[in-house]
Amino acid sequence: MKGFTHFMSGVAVASFGPWAIEAAMQGNPLFFVLGGACGILPDTIDFKFYRFFYHHDVYVTPDPINPDPQFVADEIARAVAIAVDEKRYVDVKLVSIRLGADFWQQYSVKLDNEKGEVLVKFGPVVNTGQVPVEGTENRYPAIGRAPLKTKVIQTYDARLKVDIFDGPSIGLKPLDNGDLDLEFLPWHREWSHSLTIGAILGVLVGAVAWLASGWTMAWQCFVTIAACYGVHVVEDQLGHMGSNIFYPLTKLRTPGLQWMHSGDGLPNFLTIWIGCLLIFWNLYRYQPDMTFHFGFMHLMWVGLIAPGLLFAAIRWVLTRGQNVAVVKGDGVDDEWNEMKASGA
Amino acid sequence: MSEFWIVLLSVSAGTVLMSVLSCLPGLHVYNLMGALVLGILALDGTSFAIPAMVYLPAFTGMIVSWAILNTIPAVLLGTPDESALFTVMPGQKYLMAGRGFEGTMITAVGGLAGAFFIVCVMAPLAPRYLPVAQQVLKGHMHWVLWIIITFMLMSEWPKGGNRGPAGWAKFFDAWKTLIAGVITFLLAGLLGFIILTRSPVSHVVAFQNIMPAFVGLFAIPWCLLNIISAASVPPQHTTTSLGINGDVVLRSVWSGALGGGIAAYFPIVTGGVGGMLAGHATAQRDERIFIMGQGVSKFIYYVGAFMLMFVPGLHLTRGGGAWMTKTLFTPLGWADYYLVIGCIAIAAAISYLMMEPLAKVTLKFINRFNYRHVSSVALAIILLMVLGVTGWVGMFIATVATGIGLLPVLFGSRRLNCLGILLLPIACNMSGFGETITGWLGLT
Repeated sequence: MKGFTHFMSGVAVASFGPWAIEAAMQGNPLFFVLGGACGILPDTIDFKFYRFFYHHDVYVTPDPINPDPQFVADEIARAVAIAVDEKRYVDVKLVSIRLGADFWQQYSVKLDNEKGEVLVKFGPVVNTGQVPVEGTENRYPAIGRAPLKTKVIQTYDARLKVDIFDGPSIGLKPLDNGDLDLEFLPWHREWSHSLTIGAILGVLVGAVAWLASGWTMAWQCFVTIAACYGVHVVEDQLGHMGSNIFYPLTKLRTPGLQWMHSGDGLPNFLTIWIGCLLIFWNLYRYQPDMTFHFGFMHLMWVGLIAPGLLFAAIRWVLTRGQNVAVVKGDGVDDEWNEMKASGA
Repeated sequence: MSEFWIVLLSVSAGTVLMSVLSCLPGLHVYNLMGALVLGILALDGTSFAIPAMVYLPAFTGMIVSWAILNTIPAVLLGTPDESALFTVMPGQKYLMAGRGFEGTMITAVGGLAGAFFIVCVMAPLAPRYLPVAQQVLKGHMHWVLWIIITFMLMSEWPKGGNRGPAGWAKFFDAWKTLIAGVITFLLAGLLGFIILTRSPVSHVVAFQNIMPAFVGLFAIPWCLLNIISAASVPPQHTTTSLGINGDVVLRSVWSGALGGGIAAYFPIVTGGVGGMLAGHATAQRDERIFIMGQGVSKFIYYVGAFMLMFVPGLHLTRGGGAWMTKTLFTPLGWADYYLVIGCIAIAAAISYLMMEPLAKVTLKFINRFNYRHVSSVALAIILLMVLGVTGWVGMFIATVATGIGLLPVLFGSRRLNCLGILLLPIACNMSGFGETITGWLGLT
């Protein structure tokens, strides 16, 4: 899911702690800030810290002056050969091509197991908003091809597209049958996306809080951090990539439920909106001297169901008989792209 | 003349006047409203006293037209106020593709959709539900500001660190932009503490004490960037179709209403923050939806905030327009509410109709002159505006703010961090430790 969705989920979870609301009513925003921060923290760790220290065996760095798709294809084929010959995990970095302050050369990589080759195509020049610059689509019509030494199995259906800022990484893991398993962003959702790390972080911060303010503050911090960090892991599990849920007890990512893509508009918005309604409900429950009174179901009806039905009805009226085309993300690699695009 | 015609003429005059003035870079509707409020106060008690029936519709029309038409200077002249910050980048992409007209009109459609949302959805529901929301949320505004600050700082993407082997060098290269962002936020916050605690601007123009800082943080750096980069704008062409349909409009309303609504309702959460939240909340990749959503958000931020003052049972004062109007007028009940809602509908229709000719006139101006010269003229107008309204003290504040506003340009960090000027001091004040900090700074 998107960063803002995780963030708001964290705030919503924090609002279930009566101590958070009590502190907030006394002017102390600590628990809500902790909730939001821990909600987004697993991605922050990966995208802002860990990836810069993650070592890659092969860096595929195309020449920006003379971009050559064949070079990229050959380098990827070389990485596959290393993984097969040396029977070891190989990390490959596809480096982006910057052409100017706001321009990037896009290229994409496709692994074709039927023909046993890798195909590389240079696409348009895009700006930092990932919008193609007109007239650049067919500057490099040639397709680079190189034979692969074995099949590369993509359980995670990522289209390897490289454009703005940083390029993606792939991990090539040898399987028992001699094929390779392709792991998209091997440094992502590894140790950082685990419930145990959330709990450990809670213990560490709780210990500091214990020294500073005593036992009550300590367990309140622990519960807030562990729960808000954990909700991120749980939400990511609804997607495709999954997470390494109980690291260090588990070593691999548990595949996600594949209910949604991380960049899908509706699930993200619904999560945020429901989170806002839950926060509102929790604040209402602890609000003294309310002159208005309502139940949870009433809130959900007024805040979620009725507007949802109204929206659906209006949409149906406005779009019936039309073929509605709206630009969407590129499938399951969209978390990487969404993070880059939305954080710009 | 009957009250109906007085109201209709006032709202039309206010809308048309502000529609034209909105095209001037650097001029904010609140600058003009501030001057008008001072004039109305001066005439009060004399035989030339201006009745509320005249100035209230006129103010409503001015705010509505500004909310729709300030897209023109923001996108076509590159001089955004902070609420239009997020329309500039995609808007200027349209401009550079010769489609500036299309970009501005899509935003205007967003404004019109925002008007429909306010008149048809918000207006009937607000008196029933907003007082309840206010009762629940009134003690919690401060932490909302803190979590917005937290998200703003945590969600910025590190632009560097894209090349080279793993290690600290790569990490530091990546974090240059993030550190610059945090420094920008803190420096803007420091400036905010100074301006909000001991404004050097004369009390006579107290309504405008933040204006030179905002101009310096947001508009001047864009102008300077346009002048220095000497971008050549391709010939602009107009179109008869915007390539949008009901679904695109609905999705835009969905995203923009959330961001704009939050910005209108929560104090100090501005249109820029609303735009950011609108973009993040709905994960929209379609550029038309993004731009139109920004139009919706901007409209709901300005007009919705003003409308809150008139909601029966709520009477919440949000935004500069409401605060200034409050010095003249206290809303009494449903009649005032309906008056304002009606004025919003009329003004939105007139503003939308004004958008096309004014955008075309501005595009003719751009087509005729070198864009660098256009930006230079825009910069000159902005500086004259600051000098005229706030004097040399204001120019000094604008210069300091420009220094801070240039940091994001130089380091490639987010311009939104400049909003620390309001967010940081107000959040500290609302959490109860603002005075401690101003004490440390020697301001109190």
